[in-house]
Formats: sequence, structure tokens, C-alpha cells
Amino acid sequence: MGKSIFQLHKKSFLTLVLAGVFVWSLFAVNWNGDLLHSGGFVTLGQMLGALFTPDLSSEILLIALESTWITVSYAVAGMMLAIIIAFFLGILASGIFFQNRFLKAIFRGILGFLRAIHELVWAWLFVASFGLSPYAAVFALALPFGGILGRIFADMLADVPKEPIQALKSTGASRWQLFFYGYFPIVRTGILSYTMYRFECGIRSSAIMSFVGLGGLGYQIQLSLDDLHYHEVWTFIFFLIAVVVLIDGWSSHLRNKMNHTTKHWFIPFSSLLTLVLLVGAWSYIYIVDRASFLELFSDKNLTYAKKFFSGMFGVGEENPAFFNWESWKTALSLTYDTLRMSVIAIGFATIVMFLTVLPAARNVANGKLTLTSRWYQWISFGIIRLSYIFSRAIPELVWAMAIIFILKPGILPGALALALHNFGILGKLCAEVVEDLDNRPIRHLASAGASKAQILIYGVLPSVLPQFLTYILYRWEVIMRTTIIVGFVGAGGLGQQFKLSMSFFHYTDITLLLLCYLILVWISDYISEWARKTARY
Amino acid sequence: MKKLLSISLILLVMFGLVACSGEDEKATEESKPKEVFKIGAIPDQNAADLNRSMDQIADYLAEKTDLEVEYVPSVDYAALVTAFERGEIHLAWFGGLTSVQAMSLVDGSEAIAQRPRDEEFHSVFIAQKGLNLKGIEDIKGLSFTFGSESSTSGHLMPRYYLMENGIDPEKDFDGEPNYSGSHDKTYKLVEAGTFQTGALNEAVWEGAVEEGLVDLNKVDVFYTTPSYYDYNWTINTVDDVFGKGTKDKVKEALLSMGADQQEMLDIFETDKFIETKNENYAAIEKVAKQLGIIK
Repeated sequence: MGKSIFQLHKKSFLTLVLAGVFVWSLFAVNWNGDLLHSGGFVTLGQMLGALFTPDLSSEILLIALESTWITVSYAVAGMMLAIIIAFFLGILASGIFFQNRFLKAIFRGILGFLRAIHELVWAWLFVASFGLSPYAAVFALALPFGGILGRIFADMLADVPKEPIQALKSTGASRWQLFFYGYFPIVRTGILSYTMYRFECGIRSSAIMSFVGLGGLGYQIQLSLDDLHYHEVWTFIFFLIAVVVLIDGWSSHLRNKMNHTTKHWFIPFSSLLTLVLLVGAWSYIYIVDRASFLELFSDKNLTYAKKFFSGMFGVGEENPAFFNWESWKTALSLTYDTLRMSVIAIGFATIVMFLTVLPAARNVANGKLTLTSRWYQWISFGIIRLSYIFSRAIPELVWAMAIIFILKPGILPGALALALHNFGILGKLCAEVVEDLDNRPIRHLASAGASKAQILIYGVLPSVLPQFLTYILYRWEVIMRTTIIVGFVGAGGLGQQFKLSMSFFHYTDITLLLLCYLILVWISDYISEWARKTARY
Repeated sequence: MKKLLSISLILLVMFGLVACSGEDEKATEESKPKEVFKIGAIPDQNAADLNRSMDQIADYLAEKTDLEVEYVPSVDYAALVTAFERGEIHLAWFGGLTSVQAMSLVDGSEAIAQRPRDEEFHSVFIAQKGLNLKGIEDIKGLSFTFGSESSTSGHLMPRYYLMENGIDPEKDFDGEPNYSGSHDKTYKLVEAGTFQTGALNEAVWEGAVEEGLVDLNKVDVFYTTPSYYDYNWTINTVDDVFGKGTKDKVKEALLSMGADQQEMLDIFETDKFIETKNENYAAIEKVAKQLGIIK
């Protein structure tokens, strides 16, 4: 009996548990103490004041244009390698070529490892072992993005309906023929649209690569913030937003056109644009950056890489951190803080998302869903959608850098930075869910005289909640990976210690912190997958 | 049309692979270009000013030594130390701690020149004017920012003297201490009111006061540390790369800077460089070991 009650109310239980976890995590912050710096508000005022007067001198604009191009070219080059990685590993991990379960698990494991580590951590490791080279940025992007894309490719290939494949097989097609004429055409559109979506993320990641010393928009933002030139900071941020919005527009337009059966000029145009971008990006890296690929594997680099990695494994060190109980204790307490930081972050992002998601849905704004239409609905729709774009176009790291000027160091600034970036993403995803709602039941409620709040609780929530939960849990996984990044600039948790250890060349401490980080990422992936399954059935 | 798209995608991938391998061949065919003598500096103050002055110094060194000299900017202290270790930076303007890190990583690297003031360097502790702090003990319970975590005058020595005076930086402040990243940023953050107190390099502070960059009605010094050795030019094992006598040539060039080079010396708040040696930094190394920063 007990079990069946649980089965019946599984989703409500899950929601309750998640809400409980969020409340628990809030206790990690000492809310009684002054959270703001004594001058936090003053600094906030200065920053916001500069928002409306960005520095538009030609000198700054030129720098902004150049760094935008560097950012785009690293992203393009990184994505290309990511696609190659994803293509091969994805096929191997999908199990379409061989049914060996063991091999499949190995390749899935490799993909999982690649994406478990955040691109900035990869970048840091590459710079430390191979030196400052554009390839450090390109590879650092390629590995985790390859891991993510590869996993999606593998899932898509595994889900291909068996009948057409069977038909081809019976005509005696070879494995490669099966792949190119059977599997590939079926998954092509899906793969392409997901890749385009990832490209937009790649731009943001490429922008923050500069925090390990590789050029680009992030580098300029950091320099200007260091000199407290907020006017310049906004100029660079606006450029970043512009690129993200352009690519977002490109990708959604392309996805739209690909779903039509009729041919459209936009598709060949996109291919051409991709080609131009690729040629431009690689030639920039080869010619202007003068980055030689071969030099990466020179004896010198191999020696240093070996030195770096033997340092990390504690070769020759008397008391490596990972064999030291005291170090473990510190690291585990930081891990615990980091976990709470991630929960606070997703909690805040979710709350703000719930408050804004209805006015942000097109079908609410035009009154189709609720059968009421007011002139101000379009205005609030516009403002909220704009805030979504603003929120997600700015990388977490940049939010964190600004927030530590305002809030005291600790886990709250980190959590807020993560929340600020993610509420825009969550909002956009969830608003789209509302837009795709079956609007008949809700109209019924509205015509029966239900208020806005009643419509939300009885009409909208029940039908969108499972999908919302999936997105929230999925973003939580991403946030978990990113917690380490916001720590780099002093926003608490594992990342802060990671940065300090890097600065002091305490390599075995780095290994220990990475270990804790990986454990955290794996645990969160596991919990999230379990919870998503519970929400679905 | 979709076919065209996928074909072009495949072509792109192929192009990329071909481009990669093509580049490899080119790189091997090319005769090795003349090695460039690269100089660097820890980014401990306003990056724009530092870049300008270091470019001038690169030109000056090129003229004096007949080498091709280039300044390579870096975003953080540790990155410069790593580049120095890898031999990608031949001459670097380091702080005490970073030079100790560099000297321990590269056998045969040497501290060759410093400013007269670096023999007796100080850190200053600053606070918002209204707080009326009298001595270092008064700092308890206030918010505080260091400079970069790798800085000697902005972190290592201030931390050391805080602890000497019985203050635990992790516990006795209002919240954990912040790491601002640079000396400039430290006084600007205190002036802006973001933090109540901070510690920074005396030279940068004096320069800021002289040029009127800081508002003394808002922020002032309330404690100055005892003296220690700080900044220096550390040179890599350049004689192996550029031929015997290169180190001496570079050292000579640095030591002979004077009134004619005042414009580029301004960023260092000095009018000349004097000789120094590795042994001068033994005390810094000891403190760093004591604080667990160097193991």
C-alpha cells in the first residue's frame, strides 16, 4: 500500500525533496552577517551607471572587433575538432558497428570523462603542460564539446529505427554503406541542429579561455575590470552579446528551414558561411598567431608535459596531498561547500524562472493561452526576453568577476553568478515548453473565470512540470561542472583553492581537488539521471 | 540540397585534416627563424601602462644588445613563472616570491638587477579614512583585500606580518580575505569602498599618491611593514640560447639605464637599476616555506 502511494505521488515527492534540498543549502550562507561589502552598493552603482555609457571610442571598438574575431576563430576551430572527435567516438559508443557491450561501455566512459571536466580546467592543464598556444584553447574546447556531442550522436544513432537498416542489410550493404546510407541520413538533421546549438555555447566558452592567458574578448573584459574601467567592460560585453545573438539567430533560422521539405537558399548559404568561417579561423591561427602545430609535440614540450604530469602524480614528492588526511579533510569540506553552491544557484535560477516564465511565453503575451490580452503584456514579454538574452550571453565567470566587487567572498557570490547565467537559459527553455502547450485545457480554465495564479497552478504547472524538472536537473548538472570556474576569480569553493594551488605550483593538491571535482560531477550526473527518470514515469 | 550540405560538411572536415598535416610539413621545412629574446613582467598594475613601458624597454634592450627583443604580456603571475620555466621568457620582472619560484624551477637562472628601493621594500596597509585605524591590531573585524595571491608585497609579506601580530587572515577579518589581483586594484577597491582595508606595494602606493590617482580624503596608510627584499629582473639561462656573454650584456644594459630612459623607468617608480644576487631572496623563500606557499 505504502509503495503504491509512493508510486502515485512520486513526482510530488520528488518536487518536495528537491525543494527541501534547496532550503537546506540556503543554510550554508550566513544570512545574518552583512553579505554586501561596505561599499558594495557604491560599486554596483558605478557599474550600472557605466552600462548606459559604454566606451565607444574607435580605439576600443577596434580592440573589441579584433578580440571578437579571436574568440570566434578559437570557437570555430575547437568545434571542428569536437565534431571529428564526436563523429568517431560517437559511432563507436553507439554500438551500431559492433554489439560488444564491454567496448561500448569503454567508449561511453571516454566520452563521459571528456565532458566531465570543464573546458577552462582543460585549458589550464593544457597551458601548464604545452605552454601558451592557441591550440591550448582549441583543444580545451574540442575535448569537452567532443564529449558532449559524441554522447548525443551516440544516443541518436542508437535510437535509429531498425527497419530501414534491416532492409539495407538484406541487400548486402557493408558496415560503412550501412552507416552512410542507412544511419547517417536519418540522424543528420538532429545532429546538425544540436551542433549549431553547441556552437553558440562554444563562443561563450571561447571567450572565457582568455582567463588562462589566451587572447579574446574575455581577456579584454578582464583587463578593463582590473583597471576598473567599467565603460570599456560594457563595450566588450555588448560585443559578446551581439555575437551570441547572431549565432543564436543563425542556428534557429537554419533549424527552422531544415525542417521544411522545400529547399531554401539559407541552407547553401549556411554551408558557405561555415566554410568561410573555418578557413578564416584556421588561417588566422596558422598565419596571424603563427602557431605551429608540430611545435606542440617538440621534445621541449614533452619534457615539460612529463614534468607537469609527474608533478600531479606526486612523483618524488614526500607527502603528496592525496595521501594526506588533512588535505582530504580540507578538500572534502570545500567539495561540500561547492555542492551547496550549486544547489543554491539552481534554486535561485528556478525561482526567478517561475516568476518570469509565463509573461515570457509568446502564447501568453498575445493572449492566445489565457484569452486575455493587454497592451502591457507585449512590453513585459519584451523586457523579460531581453533579460534572458542578457543573462545567458554573459558567461558565469564574467558575472562572478563583477559580483565579487559587490558581495563578500564566499559561496554566495559564486552561486549568484551561476544563477544569473542560468536563469536566462532556463527561462528560454521553459518558455518554449509553455509555448508548445496544448492550450485547450487552459483556455477552458480561463473561460471559467480562473485568475492568473489559478491558471498557473491548476492549468499550466501540471502539464509542464515534468519537462521543467528535466531542464532544471539538466542545468544543475551543467552548473555543477561550472562551480569550479567561478571559484577561479574568488567566488569560493573548490575552484578558489584550485587557482591558489596552481599559483603556488602545488601539483598534488591540484590532483586531489580534481579528484573531488570529478566525484562531485559523477554523483550529480547520477542523481540527476535518477531524478529525471522518476519525473518521467 | 541537404546532400550538398552534408557533402560540404565532410569536405570541411577533410580540409581541416589536410590543413593540419600541411602545416606540419611547412613547419619542418622552414629554417629555424632567429630566436627572439622575450621579456615579461608580472601584471601587478595597470596593464595598459605596463604594456606601453615594457614595449619601450624591449626597444631599448634591442638597441643595446643587438638582439631581437619582444615583450610578451601575461595575465597572471603564475603564467609568467610557467613561461619562464619553459624558457619562453628570457628575462622577467618578478616580485620576490615569483622570482624565488622561478629560481627554484630553473637551475642557473639569476636575479641580476633591482631598484635601490627593492633592497628595503615595504608593504603598506591602507584603510578608509573614516575608520581612524591607529595600528595593525585595529584591522580585526574589518573587510580586507590582498593583491594577487602570488604577490610578495601584496600577499606574502602582509600575511606574514599579520600573523606576526597575532591576526589570522582566514578568521579575524569580516569574511574571508579577497585577492584583488593587482596593487592598483587594491587601492581602487578600498577607495571605492568595496573593501574597508587592504595591503599593497609601497612603491605603487607612492606613485599613485604622487600622480593624484588616489583620493587621500577617502583612504590612507595606517601601517607600514618592516623592510624586506622584493622585485628584481631575473634572467633565464640565456647564454645557452643566445651565446656566451648575453647575460652580461643584458645586465649591463639594465644597469646603465638612467635619465635618458626616465620615461620607461617611470612605471617602476625609480631612476636606475642596481645589482642584486640570488642570496638576497633567501629570507623571502623562508617566509614562503613557513606559510606553506613553497613546499
